[in-house]
This record gives sequence, structure tokens and C-alpha cells, in this order.
Amino acid sequence: MIVKEIIERIEGEAELDFTYKNGIIENVKIKFPHFRGMEHIIEGKSAMDALVITPRVCGICGHAHLIAATRAMEDLYKNSSNDIEITKKASDIREITLNCEIIQNHIKWFYFVMYPLIRSIQKGSQEFISLKNKKFFEAQKAVVQISKIIALFGGQWPHTSYALPGGVMCDPTYVEIVQALSFLDEVYGFFEKNIFSDGVEAFLSCSNSELISKDGDISLFVKNAYEQSYEKIGRSYDRFIVFGENSLFKSGKVLTTIVYPVKTKYVTEKTQTFTYSKNVYYKDKFYETGPLARQMLLKQPLVREFHRKLKDSAITRIVARVAETALLLQKTRDLLKCLDIDAPSYIRPKKNIHKISGSGIGVVEAARGSLIHKIEIKEGLVKKYEIITPTQWNLGNGTKKCPGVAQKAMIGLKDKKLAEFVFRSFDICSVCTTH
Amino acid sequence: MHSPTAQKAKIIWLQGVTCNGNTHSFLNYEGFERFFQRYDLLYHPLFDTELGINDLSKFEENFDFLILEGAVTGNEEFKRGKTSFAKLFEKLAKKARYILAAGSCASYGGVFKEYDPENITGIVFDKESKRGIFKEYENKTVNIPGCPLHPEWLITVLDMLSIGKMPHLDEYLRPKELYAYLAHDGCIRNEYFEWKIDVKDFGYKEGCLYYEHGCRGPMTHASCNKILWNSVSSKTMAGMPCIGCTEPDFPKTELFETKKYMSIPAELPFGIPKRAYLTVTGITKAFKIDRLEKRLIDDSKRDN
Ligand code: SF4
Ligand code: SF4
Repeated sequence: MIVKEIIERIEGEAELDFTYKNGIIENVKIKFPHFRGMEHIIEGKSAMDALVITPRVCGICGHAHLIAATRAMEDLYKNSSNDIEITKKASDIREITLNCEIIQNHIKWFYFVMYPLIRSIQKGSQEFISLKNKKFFEAQKAVVQISKIIALFGGQWPHTSYALPGGVMCDPTYVEIVQALSFLDEVYGFFEKNIFSDGVEAFLSCSNSELISKDGDISLFVKNAYEQSYEKIGRSYDRFIVFGENSLFKSGKVLTTIVYPVKTKYVTEKTQTFTYSKNVYYKDKFYETGPLARQMLLKQPLVREFHRKLKDSAITRIVARVAETALLLQKTRDLLKCLDIDAPSYIRPKKNIHKISGSGIGVVEAARGSLIHKIEIKEGLVKKYEIITPTQWNLGNGTKKCPGVAQKAMIGLKDKKLAEFVFRSFDICSVCTTH
Repeated sequence: MHSPTAQKAKIIWLQGVTCNGNTHSFLNYEGFERFFQRYDLLYHPLFDTELGINDLSKFEENFDFLILEGAVTGNEEFKRGKTSFAKLFEKLAKKARYILAAGSCASYGGVFKEYDPENITGIVFDKESKRGIFKEYENKTVNIPGCPLHPEWLITVLDMLSIGKMPHLDEYLRPKELYAYLAHDGCIRNEYFEWKIDVKDFGYKEGCLYYEHGCRGPMTHASCNKILWNSVSSKTMAGMPCIGCTEPDFPKTELFETKKYMSIPAELPFGIPKRAYLTVTGITKAFKIDRLEKRLIDDSKRDN
């Protein structure tokens, strides 16, 4: 028997087609119905236009697309033996704005997507409408504050195109720095008031048992999962991959907690017949990408402890996203405090892009994982553009023997609601997946 | 404005071909909680609302505002829930008192039109011409373009209509109260514009971006420098040239550089005759204003 479920509130829609056997999910197909042809739209345009078009792939992680496009062009300069240089100031500013985009994403995911769902899984709880709940508004306020920081450097969020090959377009003063720090303080306050009662720093150094003993929504969720014994559901291959790099980590894949190097040349895409989204493999294998992958790579102590106990379960994934939020808040504060505003923001590449032909790859860690852009240009015009999004890694459809990452995590469950919970623990984005 | 006890205006927020950018821009609105005291959001695809997508095709009541985010498409395969988008839009459009096009895609077709130009348009407009798939709803539609739109633009229009004030619309159905201004109005780089001093390069707070860097502020109807983005900044304030995202011809190509004919910008500020432009710039160029040639804060640190 096939039961079709439309899943909403995932930056668009998906359809999950469940096949049951003796009341247990035996297989599930993940379908994304909407395709917008982003790659085709860029092809034929001037290379710099990619900085304006690609953020429009996605309203929630468009900034990551901007940085991926910028890096792809910087790589293109290098590959065609043209010098390109960017200052530490420019790369720090890019990291600050990227971090803020990830933080706003995680807060939205936690409070707009997971919170209502977990509340409705709790025994006896009524259908939960977030628009009538105080939490929704508190979370939104935090989101407003964090997005302001991006706007201080980029002019606006969403959809700024303030980064370009050679640096960034802004030229901040200490006014922007201190404003940004004060907006950040408010988000620290939000974290302490709502997510974890001991605050950001304490969260990063606490243990599994300390986490459960405290107040705050993450403690509540984990406690609840243990009480109702769904703490172990949602396991998949326990194989992780990270391609992006920043001041916190280098790229790598994690197998049984050991980190190995990776190369983008082993990444392949495959079209599927019944959905617009393409599968992605690394050396023919599915890997999980995203916050859990990054925290495994970083060996974040709390996430590692959860992983030791529960492996790559949905709860471990949730804890990893919260840990990443805390870590990025901390990192962003450091970057803001140390920013050398006297250095140049932008160094113009010596050769004009209209005179260049070649190709390049840009990789960035977006909220949901590794995002890859590939560009090929001829005398400044885009010949070919390819985008591989994080959600394609996690939401591919495999075979019965070798299911995709999220598929594997849902197979074997009995309850539709729990399957949806597992599915959403990957932080689904429909617009990115098909683009 | 509505008092908390008055009946709330009912909104249905639908998505066509979109990136969700307008929703995320809406989420930056600072008076969110008060907004929900005035309005009842019956359906929104990203929030946990009372109605789900499949309830919409069975929805028979009249309501106040249909907000559309994203372009409309005549492609019957493009579904929302189990219904084709076009059918669902039409059904709801009939029941709504007003239709608001949230963002440039819903207004004129926008970015995604380029992939499927045959099927994709704005509600009333197809780029500059009134050939949108749902042009028959022109008399209840207000366009609020921008990619994305600014949340205050949207909420201002909702609030105006709610108290019975119909905005004055321009030829592209944009409220003049918001779009009679140019993005250039209020830009902190205005003095440099007047004295014809462009930025030395990207990444400088001093200088205008019009003469070399492709700024479209003087040709773009928007109040970006009157109602600031995220309440703190704007593209041109930060240092990014305006890309003209509120105009029906968005997206243009060859951005970030100024096209010129015989060293005169190919596109002059909106409504300025070439002769006037040449006369004024001829005069201003004859002067060298020291203050405007210098760095604003510290001359010594960066090479000048
Ligand atoms: S107008 Fe821009 S922000 Fe709005 S849906 Fe279209 S691409 Fe996204
Ligand atoms: S930067 Fe653009 S908006 Fe600002 S003054 Fe110059 S032309 Fe006008």
C-alpha cells in the first residue's frame, strides 16, 4: 500500500510516498514537484550577473549562494592563471555575514518547524498552532536582530550581492561593528532565555546529562525524546561529508569518527525520473552533509557524546544544529571584535572578467551543508552553470538495497508522525533541492 | 487602525514560482506581534497556520487580502497541493477583496520568467506590458515589487487598505506613496553624485556608484533610502550599486558597470534631459572640491 503525504513548511513542498509492510515503513520516495531552471537562467549572461541571479535560488540561504558564486569566479581566475587576492578583512566579513545567515536559519528551523512538531508528538498534546504561541514571536525577534548584522555589511538581507571576486563592497566603520555586537548580544540573550538556560558558552561545554537537567527548549526536547523513547530513531549511514572551509574547519569526510580528505572531483550527480531533484554521490556513495557533519568534523564534545550514545539519530542532528548555533554566535562575536577595518575591502583583479575564459568551482558551507557552484565562461559570458545544493545530498532517492540518507533514516518506522519528525530533522528546503 | 477587539482582516498568502525571499523579508518586520493582532493569516505555506494547502481548494468564504509571492504560471503541471497553481489562484482571486503582488516576480514575472517566458508572467503585467495571465483582476491588484519587497512596504499597503485609503497607483500599479521616490533619494552618497565624484573602487564609503559602477538608483522607483532595509542600511549605503529590482525590467544584465556612449552614461537619471545633464555636469566637473576628494575618516591608513 502506498500512502502519499504532502509535506509543507519546508521552503516549499515535498511529497513523501510511503510503502508499508505489516504496519512498518518499508520504503519511502521523496518527491519535489517544482523546478525553476536557475542554471539555465544564468547561462548566456555576463559572469558578474551570477552574483545577482544565484542568491535568488533560495530566500533563506541566498547569501551562501552569493558566496559560492563569488568563490567559483575566484577559482576561475586562478585556474586561468590570473592573480586574485582577497584580504583577511574581506574574508572575515564574508564569514560574519554567512554565519549570521546560518544562525537565522537554525532559529527558524528550531522554532517554526521542529517546535510545533515536537509539541504535537508529545502525548496528549493538542494540535499546536505556532502563530498563537509566544515562542514564535520571540524567535522572530531574534531573527530580526541577526539579519540586521548582515544588512550592516551587505546593505540588506535577504538577497544582497555585496561580495564579488576580489573582496566585498562595504567599508564599515566602528559604528557598524558596535551596532553588530549589540544586535548579537540580543541573540545571545534569546538563546539563554529560550534555548538553554545557562547560555551559549555553557551549552558548548555541557554534557548529555547536564543538558537534560537544565531548563530551556533543547533540554525539554531531549528529555521528552528519552521519556517517550524515540531518542534513537532516524539513524542513517553514519557517514558525513563537508566540502566548505572557513576559520573553524577544513573540508573532510568522517567515517567512524575518523576524518579523511575529500576532493570535489569525486562528486557526481544523477537525474531521477520521478522528481526534479538530482541525486548526489561521493565516489558512488550517499553521505550526510550539514550541521551534524560539521560538528562531527570539529569533534564538538557535546555532539560527540550524543553521537557515541545515539549515533546519527534525529536527536543527535537536532543537538548538532543547536550546538552550531551557539558556536557561530561565539565565533561571530570574535570575528567582529578582531576585524581590521583599516585593511582594503576589495582588491580589483588585474584582468577584467570579459577577457577571461575558463572554469571554476566555488564551495561554501550553507545552513544545510555543502553547497557547490561550478561555472564555465568564455570571454566573460557564462557557458555553463551547475549548482549542487546541500539538500540534494541528504534527500536523494536510492534503491531498496541502498536508500538515500533521509530515506534510510525513515525506513523501519511505524508512525507517520515520527517519520515526518525524522525527515524534518534534516532541515528540508524544497526550493534549493530542485532549483 | 483596528483595535484588538475589532474584526481582524483575513489574509491568505499563496506562493507561485518563487524563492521564498519575500517571506523571509516579511519575517524581518519589527512589529510582527502587533501585526498578528490586526490580521488573521489563514494560510501561509511556511508557517503553521490553521489551513493547510489542500484546504484552500475547498475554501469558499470571502476574505480581505490575497498576497501572492512569486510569479504566476499557466503551466497546469505546476501544482500547489493537489490543485494546479493557476486554478487555485483564480479561485482565491475571485473571493479576495484585494490582491497584493508581493515582490517583482508576482508583479512582473521577475527572475524565473526567463526560464519559461511563454508560461510565466506577473499577475497583471508581463514585464512592462499589461499581458499578465490574470490581467482581468487589475482593478483589485496592487503591485509591491522589489526582489525581495521590503516588509514595511507590504504592511504599509495592508494598513492603508484596511483603513480605507486606496494608495495612488503609478502606471505599473505601484503605490506612489512608496514608489514615487527613487532609490537614489536619500542615499548618503548624494553629495558625491552632485559633484560627479565616483567611488575610487568598490569597498569605499566615499563616492557615488553611478558613474562607473552601474548604480541604478537614479533610474529606479523605490524608497530604499527612505525606509531603510532591516531598519539599518541599504545597498548603496553599504556600498553596493542599486540593481533596479523594483522595475518591471528586472533583472537586467551587465550589472556593476556603467555603460557609456562617448563617456556619457547610456542611462541618465530618470526624467533628466541629456542637455540638462551635460550642462550641470560640465559645471560641477570644473571644480575640484578638496573635502570630497579626501577620505572621510583617516587618510593615512589606506593608500590614496
Ligand atoms: S521577486 Fe525576488 S525575492 Fe521575490 S520570489 Fe522573485 S526572486 Fe524571490
Ligand atoms: S550611489 Fe547610487 S543611489 Fe547613491 S547617490 Fe550615487 S547614484 Fe544615487
